[in-house]
Amino acid sequence: MPLARQGLRARPPVPEQPFEAPLCQRAVRPGTPHAPEPVDDRELIGRVLAGDPRAERELYDAHVDRVFRLSCRIAGDPHRAQDYTQETFIRGFRRLADFRGESALSTWLCAIAVSVTLNGLRSQRRARDREVGLDEAPALGTRTVEADPDLKVRMARAIDGLPEGYRTVFVMHDVEGYTHEEIATALGVQPGTSKAQLFRARAKLRTALADFARD
Amino acid sequence: MDDYLHDAHDDAPGELPDEPLEPSLLAAAREYHRPPELPREAIWRAIQAERRAARATRPVPRRWIPWAAAAAALLAVGVGIGRLSLRTDPGTPVANWGPSAPAPRVSAAAYRLTTLEHLGQSEAFLTLFRSSVRTGGQERLASATARQLLATNRLLLDSPAATDRKTRVLLEDLELVLAEIAQLATDARPDDRALIREGMDRDGVLSRLRTEVPAGTTPTRGDL
Repeated sequence: MPLARQGLRARPPVPEQPFEAPLCQRAVRPGTPHAPEPVDDRELIGRVLAGDPRAERELYDAHVDRVFRLSCRIAGDPHRAQDYTQETFIRGFRRLADFRGESALSTWLCAIAVSVTLNGLRSQRRARDREVGLDEAPALGTRTVEADPDLKVRMARAIDGLPEGYRTVFVMHDVEGYTHEEIATALGVQPGTSKAQLFRARAKLRTALADFARD
Repeated sequence: MDDYLHDAHDDAPGELPDEPLEPSLLAAAREYHRPPELPREAIWRAIQAERRAARATRPVPRRWIPWAAAAAALLAVGVGIGRLSLRTDPGTPVANWGPSAPAPRVSAAAYRLTTLEHLGQSEAFLTLFRSSVRTGGQERLASATARQLLATNRLLLDSPAATDRKTRVLLEDLELVLAEIAQLATDARPDDRALIREGMDRDGVLSRLRTEVPAGTTPTRGDL
């Protein structure tokens, strides 16, 4: 009974200010109309599979915030993120009978979201190569096209310049607050790989933004 | 997921210092692609529309066709088992088929094949049954098909196919489910069907069948 092996609990969405300490803890935003109550995933999945439309909506409400945030952070375009979120849930509902409960439902959905989003971005990238080696990033900072770019802009450029794997892990961990275990499950890698990618991403960002880091 | 994530060094990162970014850098990073307000209802409406469209374009099969196909395939499995159980190597004395004599390799493969076919048929049948729980109306055919599957199941449980512990346990659990369905009366209440379904879910029979017989990998006799 695979679903019973886990203590499945739907995780509430990331709060709007997700990076205050503790960095990786997620909490329900109190007072928000859609702040989901803890839901038993097993029970919910059973009802969705039985064709209960209310259960479909409950599942959607419990996870859409997290999926949309992640997709938005990775894609960088809210309209595309909306499409990717939609696609994530369509695939999720279609494959729900195959969900084996080896991870939390939220992690499983995030895995679909990451896959959908990255594949969408790759399709875009066929038209325009937006990969910039981070080795070039220090040069970006010395350009005079934009006078005195502030830290946010420089940081955004530097993150954009990270290799895709580094960027995905960095965004999931440092920006969205996922744990290495969740990232590993979502990306199909070992937690050690996630840690190594994060370490290198941070190192590259520090190099690219050395002048700010010194301040 | 993707090769780009894999690096020979990454899986053995050693003692990488888990040093967070400096607060100012971290604060800037948190502004990276900050999501706007979630368009919850718009996304939900789009999902619903897409799913409705997908359902509308999906051909609706006649309900009796899959059941009849399952029954016909079941007959083929039964015939196969019958042939297997009668087949002997003409060059091998019958006395050599005792417990001390190792069975020919082809025999084990054939039993495995037959078991996989049976499990595949059972999975298809239980999937159909599961999806018809809410509607009902097919109890007689379901019961008849379950009885035939049950007979095959018992043959396999008594055969060398059940020497593998995992397979035996699966066949035993499957037997319970099939027996329940075989006893379904034509005037069965929805609760009866729901209880059977709950039992299937509780024991994970269907998912274990799917694990045992991955989609598209059920061998055919030609594979022998």
